[in-house]
Amino acid sequence: MSKTQKKVLKKILFYFVLAVIVVYLLFPFYWAVNSSLKSQAQLSMTPATLIPRDPDTGEISIFTSNYFAIFKNGQFLRGLVNSSIVATSTTILSLIVGSFAAFALGKLRFKGKEPALYVILAMTMFPQVTVLSGLYAVINALNLSARFSMIFTYMLFTLPFTTWVLTSFFRDLPKEIMQSAQVDGATPFQTFHMILLPLTAPALVTTGLLAFIQAWNEYLFALTFTSIDPSARTVPVAIQYFSGEFARQEPFGEIMAAAVVVTIPIVVLVLIFQKRIVAGLTAGAVKG
Amino acid sequence: MAKKGMSELAKEEQKLAVKLLIPTFIILLVIALYPLGQVFYTSFTNRTFAGTGTTEFIGLDNYQKLLSFSIKELPPVVDEETGKVKIDEETGKKVFQSPIQVLPRQPELYRPVYSFNFFGSKYVVGAVTPDFIRAVFNTIIFTIFSVLIETILGLGIALVVNSEFKGRGMMRAVMLVPWAVITVVSAKMWEWMFQPTRAGLFNMLLDKFGIGTGNFSFLTNLSLQMPAIIAVDVWKTTPFMALLLLAGLQLIPQELYEAAEVDGASKIRQFFTITLPLLKPSVAVALIFRTLDSLRVFDVFQVLLAQKRYSMASFNYFQLISARQMGMASAIGVIIFILIFFFALSYMKALGVDTE
Repeated sequence: MSKTQKKVLKKILFYFVLAVIVVYLLFPFYWAVNSSLKSQAQLSMTPATLIPRDPDTGEISIFTSNYFAIFKNGQFLRGLVNSSIVATSTTILSLIVGSFAAFALGKLRFKGKEPALYVILAMTMFPQVTVLSGLYAVINALNLSARFSMIFTYMLFTLPFTTWVLTSFFRDLPKEIMQSAQVDGATPFQTFHMILLPLTAPALVTTGLLAFIQAWNEYLFALTFTSIDPSARTVPVAIQYFSGEFARQEPFGEIMAAAVVVTIPIVVLVLIFQKRIVAGLTAGAVKG
Repeated sequence: MAKKGMSELAKEEQKLAVKLLIPTFIILLVIALYPLGQVFYTSFTNRTFAGTGTTEFIGLDNYQKLLSFSIKELPPVVDEETGKVKIDEETGKKVFQSPIQVLPRQPELYRPVYSFNFFGSKYVVGAVTPDFIRAVFNTIIFTIFSVLIETILGLGIALVVNSEFKGRGMMRAVMLVPWAVITVVSAKMWEWMFQPTRAGLFNMLLDKFGIGTGNFSFLTNLSLQMPAIIAVDVWKTTPFMALLLLAGLQLIPQELYEAAEVDGASKIRQFFTITLPLLKPSVAVALIFRTLDSLRVFDVFQVLLAQKRYSMASFNYFQLISARQMGMASAIGVIIFILIFFFALSYMKALGVDTE
């Protein structure tokens, strides 16, 4: 075999492996889209078809009613609203509180910095499930509403995360900025919110997005705290409890439509902020 | 004068730092530390949720109930007439006594969890709360396999994406898709693919390749449940692993490979002498990070198996919400906490904090 032949063969092999990876990563999502465009009759066809086909004629026939059905279904819409409220509130609160702490940890000199950093790092690994029964008792004792409980308790994972990631961003800002601001007579807090905060705006967006996704994803607390108040269910819980018009079967067509609807916005967001997200993820995990 | 000014400034900085940190620490105190203390305390009581009974301090009873297990040898059944070991006529194997006869009944009833053969003898593992012992076992199996497979697949994908080719940006975007899918939603998507008829993707495919008759019930068949759950988790988290490892790969200086090329080292040799050793820190961190995550797995287990098979976290949820055993749930919480604590310690040791 000549050298060029070998090269071509290698290239073909490489692209083949690449194609396998792409199919593996995307196919389950494609299957959800495919299934969401099938009617109940099409869904129960055996064998299942790779594209929606008519059960009798075998011709391609696309069924869109699942999408209309989920938007007529109060549970799903309410879930979207609840998830948006909860995830947005938690994210904003964590960003505000977390950026204060991160500024102190990243730029100020003070006693007890190292233990404080260790506490924050330890908190990023805190297993939520351990405090489940304790938090549940607290929430019941205080009679907090389910939505508020979620906003508050989600900070258990969003706050340490935002603090930790933002700390590394603040630390990387050049010292000279703070020094020159001090020379100009700015107090450290003025330096923080007038100079440093605008500089970290991109970091805030990325960190906020990642915190938002974590909160949007959360299931354990949502399932537990909404067990007494079904109207406060967030998207993951609503999808899990999805019931169709025909109570007997699980309405997989509608569930898949809902799956597609909740996934697409996140995928679009993630693709827009792609580079930053990868940087944020690695800052949050690889660097700690 | 100048010195005094400096210390004045330092004092001010100290004060400001404390002020800025207070909100974070108060919030963490209320939602983490206080409930944690509460959980530790409750784990020593028999508290039930919305129960009528009074709460009593019962010491380590919950832990004892959860963790006590014993391994007993099953004696073979001896035929009374002949005095010989009874042999099953159909299979030709020895007949053993049933586990219930062998396992202790006092002070707590032990129920069989698992039995196995070892050098011709039969043993049984019994436990007071077999579901919890199984949940621990499930979680450990899940953690070992999913983390291992994710690391290998993730490393493979990272190596492929790290090489120069057209559409590399696109590929990175594709990698983020499974990661962006809500865990519950991905579990639902897979549940649908796991349907026990040929309406499900896997049964349809297996049937096409002539394996089985198109009715594997992945989620009810005991030996298929764990592989199914692991498959879902691997799909969802491999890209994340790949991204972490990719970041590590890009830290390796290109010159090393160029030098190796000059020395005539083969690609495989380069992988084992340059890539792998230099990637070790990234792999270690990613491994511990994923292990911590897997040990507290809840979503996939709860959605796909609910009460058919538990992870530690989903058993905790079950004890709290369905069985309303708050004391018991708290004890499970403490056990998970201790387990994860040790992993977290090693993680922090691997990382360290950077104060400058």
